[in-house]
Amino acid sequence: MISYNGSAARSRWKAAALLAPGLMLLGAMAVSADRMERRFKVEAHPVITIHNPNGAITVRAWTKSEVLVAASRETSVVEVFAEQTGNRVDIFTHQVSGAATPEELRADYEINVPEDAELEIHDDSGGVNVSNVLGDMNVETIAADVALQDAAGYLTIKTVGGSFQCLRCAGRIEVSSISGSFRLIDLRTYNVRAQTSTGNILFSGAFLPNATYRLKNYSGVIEVRFAPGDSFDLSATSLRGKVHNEANLTPPSHHHVLPRFGNALFGTFNSGRAKVDLSSFDGTINILKRD
Amino acid sequence: MSAMGCHEFLGRLEEWMDGDRPLNSRAHLRDCPRCRSLVGDFEAIRDAARATAVLDAEPPPRVWQALRAQLEQEELIHDGRGRRAGGWRKRLGAVFGTPPRPVLAGAYLAAVVAVAVALVVPARQASEDPWMTHTRTATQPLQAHLASAAHDTISSLQGSDPVVAASLHQNLAIVDNYIALCEKSVSEEPDNETARDYLYDAYHQKAALVAQMMERGEYGP
Repeated sequence: MISYNGSAARSRWKAAALLAPGLMLLGAMAVSADRMERRFKVEAHPVITIHNPNGAITVRAWTKSEVLVAASRETSVVEVFAEQTGNRVDIFTHQVSGAATPEELRADYEINVPEDAELEIHDDSGGVNVSNVLGDMNVETIAADVALQDAAGYLTIKTVGGSFQCLRCAGRIEVSSISGSFRLIDLRTYNVRAQTSTGNILFSGAFLPNATYRLKNYSGVIEVRFAPGDSFDLSATSLRGKVHNEANLTPPSHHHVLPRFGNALFGTFNSGRAKVDLSSFDGTINILKRD
Repeated sequence: MSAMGCHEFLGRLEEWMDGDRPLNSRAHLRDCPRCRSLVGDFEAIRDAARATAVLDAEPPPRVWQALRAQLEQEELIHDGRGRRAGGWRKRLGAVFGTPPRPVLAGAYLAAVVAVAVALVVPARQASEDPWMTHTRTATQPLQAHLASAAHDTISSLQGSDPVVAASLHQNLAIVDNYIALCEKSVSEEPDNETARDYLYDAYHQKAALVAQMMERGEYGP
């Protein structure tokens, strides 16, 4: 484990490194006044955990079999830790002194990982940005926004108020929030489950054959944009709100029990290869043509 | 200090509620206020269900299945297959010597929701008319517990990151409003299953949110 709290810690760790190089594992350290950098050699499918109460976390995939952690902190009120246990690298920020402003507690991370890495990220406020990582991912935030690009695997994202954006993601996505809005753009996923209470949900992109898309909110707008070549079986229900549809749907051939309450729309677009399930309590559902 | 820990006790909770109460379980319950409180809530829910005279005298097996699934999901009991068993909070606990109590809090609240929801399902299937009565009976302890937990945790958030605290407060108000509107909707249309599903979703959300607030209150920003 390495801590980061100024020159005393630096000397201490340098001494420790000289006396017991085994303790340093495979990492190499470079510390500047407000910046820490470490490298860890890892094997296939490493697990990277990041816990940072306040600050930006940026994770990018690269082709090396190592993890590079670059951390910067605002003040010495916080310490930054990075340690390796087997094929897992744990990174976290720890508050040293009691009273501090949020800005004093801020630490930002830029992390490079192998593309097959699994990620577990906790970030209360700040922001999370992940690019090109193909392993499973679990992200939890309070107010921090989450943005994923070209990610894959089993993606689980939970926020309280933070927004979520997923661009060209593949694999499987489960995202939930209370007031965060979601933008799901050009996905290549076979299973999407998105639920927010008061946020909006936008889905724009092709519906993959045999894929399932379940989008649900309490209020707000659910908007799905489809192309003429898409093929899906649609179920859209808003208990108190409205459903607007631009798709030329074929009524379901099988017996379909219409709900007694709310506004509902069921039908098939082209051959109905994907399953699209949209539901809202008193929000609006828009099924619109994509430009 | 009893030899049995919370994990082990919760793993045997089903047997405890069935009346199988070995000495070490009794000793743990005597020493552990959280587990004692959890058992108290389950007993209250079970007693409320008995009082409706519609359900069986004992909760059906699926109640315990719901509870077990919830506890396994929260990693309080598991068989070692969980991909993320031993997650970040446990590691932080190892570093800073803090027991993973918020994990217990989260499971605690979520399990109460799971049991309350599982208990009311057969009532609505048996008869639509008394469904509201049974729902109220089974969810009253749940509502009271969540309200109490939320009240307790709000004060513990003082000193937390104001952005985070504000977000938690704001979203708690959103969920409370969500619950109120869903309850109104269910009250107006008792046989509207969609409204019920939204109501249960809202309870789950509140439980999860209060658990998160507990975590922030215990670990600070």
